[in-house]
Amino acid sequence: MGKVARDCGVDMDGIRVGNRVIGTQGRVTVGWENIPKVEGGPFKRLFFTYFQPAVLFAMILFWYYAPNSIVKATTAIYIGIGFKALLLALEWVNPRFDSWRLTWKELATDLFYVGLGYTILNTVDNYIGDGVMIEAIQHAFTLEKLTWFTGLPLLLQAFLIAFIFDFGQYWMHRGMHNWYPLWLPHSVHHYITQLNINKGAVGNPVELFLIGLGVGGFFDFLPRAFLLAGAIGMSIGIYQHINVRFNSPKWWRFLFNTTEHHSLHHSQDYEATRSNYAGSFIFIDRMFGTCIDGEAELLGLEHGRRMSISEQMTYPFTEGWKSLKERFGQQPAAVPAE
Amino acid sequence: MNLRFIDWIWCIRGNLALAPGQSSDEAFERLRSLFQKQGTTHQTTGETLTFRKKDQAAQDAMSIFEGGILHIENQAGGAVLRYILTSRALLFCFLAPLLFLGFAQLNITLGKLDKQATEAAKKAGKDTDAKKKADAEKKEIKLNPIDKMLGAPEPEKPKKDGKDKKEEKKEDKKFSPTSGYVFAGIIAALWLIGRILEDWLIRRLFRKTLLGEG
Repeated sequence: MGKVARDCGVDMDGIRVGNRVIGTQGRVTVGWENIPKVEGGPFKRLFFTYFQPAVLFAMILFWYYAPNSIVKATTAIYIGIGFKALLLALEWVNPRFDSWRLTWKELATDLFYVGLGYTILNTVDNYIGDGVMIEAIQHAFTLEKLTWFTGLPLLLQAFLIAFIFDFGQYWMHRGMHNWYPLWLPHSVHHYITQLNINKGAVGNPVELFLIGLGVGGFFDFLPRAFLLAGAIGMSIGIYQHINVRFNSPKWWRFLFNTTEHHSLHHSQDYEATRSNYAGSFIFIDRMFGTCIDGEAELLGLEHGRRMSISEQMTYPFTEGWKSLKERFGQQPAAVPAE
Repeated sequence: MNLRFIDWIWCIRGNLALAPGQSSDEAFERLRSLFQKQGTTHQTTGETLTFRKKDQAAQDAMSIFEGGILHIENQAGGAVLRYILTSRALLFCFLAPLLFLGFAQLNITLGKLDKQATEAAKKAGKDTDAKKKADAEKKEIKLNPIDKMLGAPEPEKPKKDGKDKKEEKKEDKKFSPTSGYVFAGIIAALWLIGRILEDWLIRRLFRKTLLGEG
């Protein structure tokens, strides 16, 4: 795939990737060989080649060996905040596209959504989140947690947690692109016109709730395994929405989702958006034939119309109402011609 | 109601002296490029230019504004550009901390209700059996031999008295108002930064454009 890929103009025929033709409606680049590399001195190139794997292995080592006294969720939260601050600095130093530069308005919008995630969505989760649902199911069917998982090696437990969650996310996300009632709330996220580190939080709250659902609660894992899984997920998935150019190693981009993959998913080309659904593990897309290796600069539905926050909040409902009226509304009776 | 006393929250006003000899037509001609952007409409009447923006692009240098008036005044010392620009983003950012304070308050209220419900259930002895069962299930977890060999710390032993402080702490954090307060603070700081930064940026943009440096 992608051997003969090139930059496709909107007026071009696009490029065949498997059974699909990509790039007939929006400009996309397909194939790793067509994606620009990090430019600059040897240190800069070395840094932006090995930064991602180095962080991943450092996180694994930290959460594997850290004493019990600091293996807790608050440590993970502080590390997450510090890491995001570092990545924001990297966006400034080595942006993938100048047209994705973070502005005050974009930062304010993104942080507003991050805030919703930490506040009201958390509150809602206390009542109808996956944890509550799973407990209710376990209670109704007198199911026990699968406790033998705690006997597995820590890294295997952590991988299983991350994989099970991402596998669920893959199908939820794919469902959102294929079933209109789920597409309505998710479509709002596809109105973002640039990628920045906090853009993953931007979307209609209904969608943000749905995409956060997981089935990990059915299993019993060690707390350290959960934190390890969180660290692995963060060290891979965080690059989905980032404006930094990396020379990610081949094995990394074969296994993991990258900003290149995700920019293609957000492109203005309809066929390209129906690819790269996984959050962290792009090999799930490879397994199911939905992976496309490439990138896009021009993003967003309706040729990059930037939606305001107020419209983002109401869009799924107003659009849903319009569709219902179209489908079930009374058609005016035909008047016979005289 | 006279909004003049509070509209500094979402309005940016400023004056900029035109270059000596620069006419209003010349000045507007130079500024016009700023209003030929996606989602922007504008009209010039005499010495006044009015513009409106809707769904403006993220990278539009004036993206935070929804509308504004630019007026050129001819004074004894030379022509001056006066502008007043309105920004819904600034207004929203100013008000958003209230929303987050509301979320914090909501969590406090819900936390109290949750505590009352838990205590009532405890009194009624509803969860005694479940708790006993859960306590009985608490057994020591052993590390996998591979992890032992690699030197990973052993998991903590479960407390025998049945009162797991971690669980209690977790329950308390379920309805914590802290994140609401933190984000109210962050967004309030953002408004302050935005109000100062965007004022400076737009002044710089107008000056550069008028001088033909933009």
